[in-house]
Amino acid sequence: MASQAIIFRETKDSKGFYILLAVLGAFLALGALAFFHAEHHGHHVTGMTNQVVWGLPHVFAIGLIVAASGALNVGSIGTVFGKKIYQPMGRLSALLAISLLVGGLIVLVLDLGHPDRLIVAMTTYNFKSIFAWNIILYNGFLALSAVYIWTMMDRKVKKFYKLAGVAAFTWRLILTTGTGSIFGFLVARDFYNSAVMAPLFIVMSFAMGLAVFILVLHFAYTWTGRPLGDVVMNRLRYLLAVFIGGVLLLEGARHFTGLYIAQKAGVENFILFDGGIYTQLFWVGQIMLGSLLPLSLIFCRKLANNRVALLLAALFTIVGGFAQLYVILIGGQAYPLVLFPGAEVSSDFFDGVINAYEPSIWELMLGLGGVALTLFMVTIGVKVLRFLPDSLSDAVADPHSK
Amino acid sequence: MNQNRVDEYRRNFMTTLGGVAAVAAVVPSFVLQTAHAAGEVAAKPVDQAVTNAKRWGMLIDVTKLTDGGAGMVAACKKEHGWGDEAHSADTQKAHWARVVKVTDKLTQNSFSLPVMCQHCENPPCVDVCPTGASMKRADGIVQVNKHICIGCRYCMMACPYKARSFVHEALQDQKPHSPRGMGTVESCNMCVHRIDAGKLPACVEAAPDAVIFGDLNDPNSAVSQAMKTIGGKQIRADLGLNTGVRYHGI
Amino acid sequence: MTSKFSSVFLAATLAFATLLAGCSKAPTEADLNLATAKAKADQCVEPESVIRTKHMDLLMHQRDATMIEGIRTKQHSLKECINCHVSTTKQDGTPLHYGDKEHFCTTCHAAVGQKIDCFQCHADRPQTDDPNYQHTVGSTAGHHFTQGVTAAAAPTAAEVQMVTQPQQGAAK
Ligand code: SF4
Ligand code: SF4
Repeated sequence: MASQAIIFRETKDSKGFYILLAVLGAFLALGALAFFHAEHHGHHVTGMTNQVVWGLPHVFAIGLIVAASGALNVGSIGTVFGKKIYQPMGRLSALLAISLLVGGLIVLVLDLGHPDRLIVAMTTYNFKSIFAWNIILYNGFLALSAVYIWTMMDRKVKKFYKLAGVAAFTWRLILTTGTGSIFGFLVARDFYNSAVMAPLFIVMSFAMGLAVFILVLHFAYTWTGRPLGDVVMNRLRYLLAVFIGGVLLLEGARHFTGLYIAQKAGVENFILFDGGIYTQLFWVGQIMLGSLLPLSLIFCRKLANNRVALLLAALFTIVGGFAQLYVILIGGQAYPLVLFPGAEVSSDFFDGVINAYEPSIWELMLGLGGVALTLFMVTIGVKVLRFLPDSLSDAVADPHSK
Repeated sequence: MNQNRVDEYRRNFMTTLGGVAAVAAVVPSFVLQTAHAAGEVAAKPVDQAVTNAKRWGMLIDVTKLTDGGAGMVAACKKEHGWGDEAHSADTQKAHWARVVKVTDKLTQNSFSLPVMCQHCENPPCVDVCPTGASMKRADGIVQVNKHICIGCRYCMMACPYKARSFVHEALQDQKPHSPRGMGTVESCNMCVHRIDAGKLPACVEAAPDAVIFGDLNDPNSAVSQAMKTIGGKQIRADLGLNTGVRYHGI
Repeated sequence: MTSKFSSVFLAATLAFATLLAGCSKAPTEADLNLATAKAKADQCVEPESVIRTKHMDLLMHQRDATMIEGIRTKQHSLKECINCHVSTTKQDGTPLHYGDKEHFCTTCHAAVGQKIDCFQCHADRPQTDDPNYQHTVGSTAGHHFTQGVTAAAAPTAAEVQMVTQPQQGAAK
């Protein structure tokens, strides 16, 4: 296939490696501290309330989980769709997917009221619950990704490579559908109750996962002094643009239809026009910084082959993704439940008022702890096992391009 | 139910009656309950499992509630001890029941009603719970089995009535009949401990003239009869949850 | 889970037995003033040996029966254990909670290092303004370490703390 063989090698010992680990370790420690603090005192130390029951930790957790299934995409394109240029990146893609999922799940779990009862969640299932299905989906995803990596690393099981790749790819589509459905099935809340939630989460996962992959790939290569050519990066660049476009399309569809469905018009107007922070996050965070800016960074002629522009585009895509999740999650809860359509309601339990939410430092620390765990796992992974090709220079990655 | 079981039931029932009659102090309240306009609850033998023969429910006549239901809410609070969490912010304190004031935007017509768990027949909170902690008892009472609740709050996201609260802090000296604790979700359980003992829920007792409690499955029960004559509306009937708590005058 | 639980408790019971059998520092039976307790053990809902080894299983079974089926027999009800075995106050008149070393459950659980989950939600002492408050069995003398023997082999503060703390390590 290639004129130069692809050689995978562990990253080398270096000062940078340990510095990175130390930094990530510090964030991990802060995350652990936040967990112990909230678990010991109870959730009253967080900003979450009986109105806004899911907060910043859930934004982080769902963001990481969504990105996880997207990160696997790079590998899948190589395996399932037979695009050779992506194949050398398959291992990293699967490693990143596992790490992101674990990072997200740990945040989700540590925010439970009873993390000590995780065993209950793992052993007693209510099969009507999307959440219960998700627990199974997550475990399966971890297992399949691990098998996928195995088929890539061990020649003896190479013949299952394609099969494992296809299985993992299919599974991840179901998984993201499941994550989206966590919201889609909430009949009580007009902002979530929509069939477009599942496909929306799938394209979101494509975009966020790829953005994370681009950043990790770049820094893994530059910090270890390995060559990384423009051919690979430009492929990813345009793929990212396609995914961002996809998110925009589905978001547009969701909000437009929302405005026309009488039941949803209230909350749509709130989010789009007079929701204060949520409106700002939507227009500035998600649409401008998170979608239009990356798109222009990618398509601007002058910035072709410009690595920094690509990295910024990836970074802003992630920022946009988190803004979007914040708007969906918190914004959707900030808007009060409608008990009596067409009437004003009030009570001493915050009926009929916009619910305030101010994330506490603990929630932020917990969320960042999850991110740190992800990066920690990747850093260790590429160090101890052969995840990274020695070189992804143009000559190696795509010898036919010239 | 085989014959032995029935006999046993009768025997137990008689013993219960006898036991109750023997305690002079209890007699008046027992008589009161059975004869009460607010409805009836037959004492269930303590060793029998509840069945789906009955479905408990209530009809709240909002027009007869002079205080909009504040007395009912206060009775609930006293019975279960919620709402005084010392460290929690107001937005974090538990609310099993609350008085909601409703004003129609067009007509400015206004009324108040107590809103608690509506004990849905098809409860979304039960459907979403990953562990099965959020559960519906055979007799239609929806409650949280706090022993296996992991505190994920998904049920709170799913409930259309905001009937559920999360306990945000450690508690002490709970009511022995109403355990509640940090990290779990809770909601109105229709005073399940009272119903099992043949007593009316605390809120019903607090508003005997406005609320009728009883078995919705029995067409002859006071509550079924009342609903037949004056009707019983659901909040958000469009959701099709077939609630066990119904209102008149909303 | 249950089997781990019971094996731990078996060990617990053994430890407790050794304690009673009198290793040098442990209190003697006379010190412990177990006479009343022993006399009252006959009145307990199960023989002492069954209670010691199986109380958690009995409670677990009862818990599901009550929660799911509404079965409210008193024999294995946690509430009745508390009504009978736990005083409402310590000797100095302050409220008695399971974080205190005198608490009936804590005395043993602390000694064997087994955390108690029940009282995060359940009342850990009887409520005296409840007319159904029983406490007939252990009303005056109290049980086991409740009174009079706090100086003996009562659990240390650290042990007590272990009993009450949320199981934080578990999820890590
Ligand atoms: S009112 Fe809410 S908590 Fe009660 S049964 Fe219905 S969905 Fe569940
Ligand atoms: S918070 Fe508890 S009852 Fe509610 S869904 Fe989660 S586990 Fe079930």
